[in-house]
Amino acid sequence: MNFLFDKIEGIIIRTQDYGETHKIVTLFSKEKGKVAAIARGAKKTKSRMAAITQPFVHGTFLMQIGSGLGSLQQGEVISSFRKIREDIVKTAYASYLAELTEKIFDEKIPDQFFYQQFMATLQAITDEKDPEIVTMMYELKLYKKAGFAPMLHQCAICEGNNTLQAFSVKEGGLICQRCVSSDPESVVLSSTLVKLLQVFADVNVERIGNISIKVENKKILQQLMETYYEQYGGFFIKSKKFLKQLDLFT
Amino acid sequence: MYYPEPISKLIDSFTKLPGIGPKTAVRLAFFVLNMKEDDVLDFAKSLVSAKRELTHCTVCGHITDQDPCAICQDETRDSSLICVVQDPKDVIAMEKMKDFSGRYHVLHGAISPMDGIGPEDINVPSLLNRLKDEEVEELILATNPNIEGEATAMYISRLVKPSGIHITRIAHGLPMGGDLEYADEVTLSKALEGRREL
Repeated sequence: MNFLFDKIEGIIIRTQDYGETHKIVTLFSKEKGKVAAIARGAKKTKSRMAAITQPFVHGTFLMQIGSGLGSLQQGEVISSFRKIREDIVKTAYASYLAELTEKIFDEKIPDQFFYQQFMATLQAITDEKDPEIVTMMYELKLYKKAGFAPMLHQCAICEGNNTLQAFSVKEGGLICQRCVSSDPESVVLSSTLVKLLQVFADVNVERIGNISIKVENKKILQQLMETYYEQYGGFFIKSKKFLKQLDLFT
Repeated sequence: MYYPEPISKLIDSFTKLPGIGPKTAVRLAFFVLNMKEDDVLDFAKSLVSAKRELTHCTVCGHITDQDPCAICQDETRDSSLICVVQDPKDVIAMEKMKDFSGRYHVLHGAISPMDGIGPEDINVPSLLNRLKDEEVEELILATNPNIEGEATAMYISRLVKPSGIHITRIAHGLPMGGDLEYADEVTLSKALEGRREL
């Protein structure tokens, strides 16, 4: 009798209050990609949907998906990513990743790879892996999806295969030693940092073990990523502001 | 416009209210036309006085028509106990319970990483000042049991803990009259975690 409903596996990436008792939730799902649905009565204390409509709840959801806003009927939790919800720093990173995903993906276009990467990233954050590193890894993959990934394997200016030596935001990627002089604002990077950027972009999040990077190197990479996103990103990410305030919590 | 100006203005005003669409606004506006003039005047006066006469209590941040508010002025209340809530409506909900005799502190929001609302955007500095000035023994964090509420509670507890004040969090779990069978995993595990001896 379920022919009217779709049973999908997904994770809640955004929730919004609607009216007195309803919520509009956005799911990033395995089968349907990003889908928004109304969860009627989800704000009521005794609602069975109150807990399953919280951000970062991974579960199976029974919903009616039409051409517009769907309707969430039921849900069952697979994982609530509790460690994320109970740690403000982890919550901040997960919120940022969720918002970025929500902004970049179009509705109802499934992408198994990104679903897997998103889940793996949240799992890595839960498993105490460095949230800054896994965030950068996911960001770089997402930029590729969105069409503004930096060039990391050949020189962004001459497109040659000479030793890459600096990152140029203006030119959109790494540049070689011959071209460094073309962009005086480019940031010269050590060979380790060049390699790290390439690994971050190429290796899937679930494959990383325990990477530790010097704090100063991490700062350099983060600054580069931030400037790069400001230049090419185009979406205003509200949770980024919160991430910048994170030092207030430590 | 299809309507004479006074009523069209009234319709426009009603549409500014939350949950009121154009159709409902027209219905409400025509209802006002049929009301007695005295009732309409009272209604208008209530709107204006709610806006003009209410301020935020300088001590706790609750909405009030006198500063400090009646709760903060009440000498019979336990000033060593402060309950931190997100919204003035939460104070009303707690007061309806009639079981709490301490004082309140209203944050006017909650830290929300998703909406970019940080600690600087809510009423935390005045809470810290209160904790310095008043002799507070226990701080009850009664923010909502969702991501935002948890984040806010975590932040405040990290800030306040070094001062030695006893910090507690309201219990999470099954609602009164609820059914265990239909409770979800998150709620049940929270309920089990917060179990207490009988």
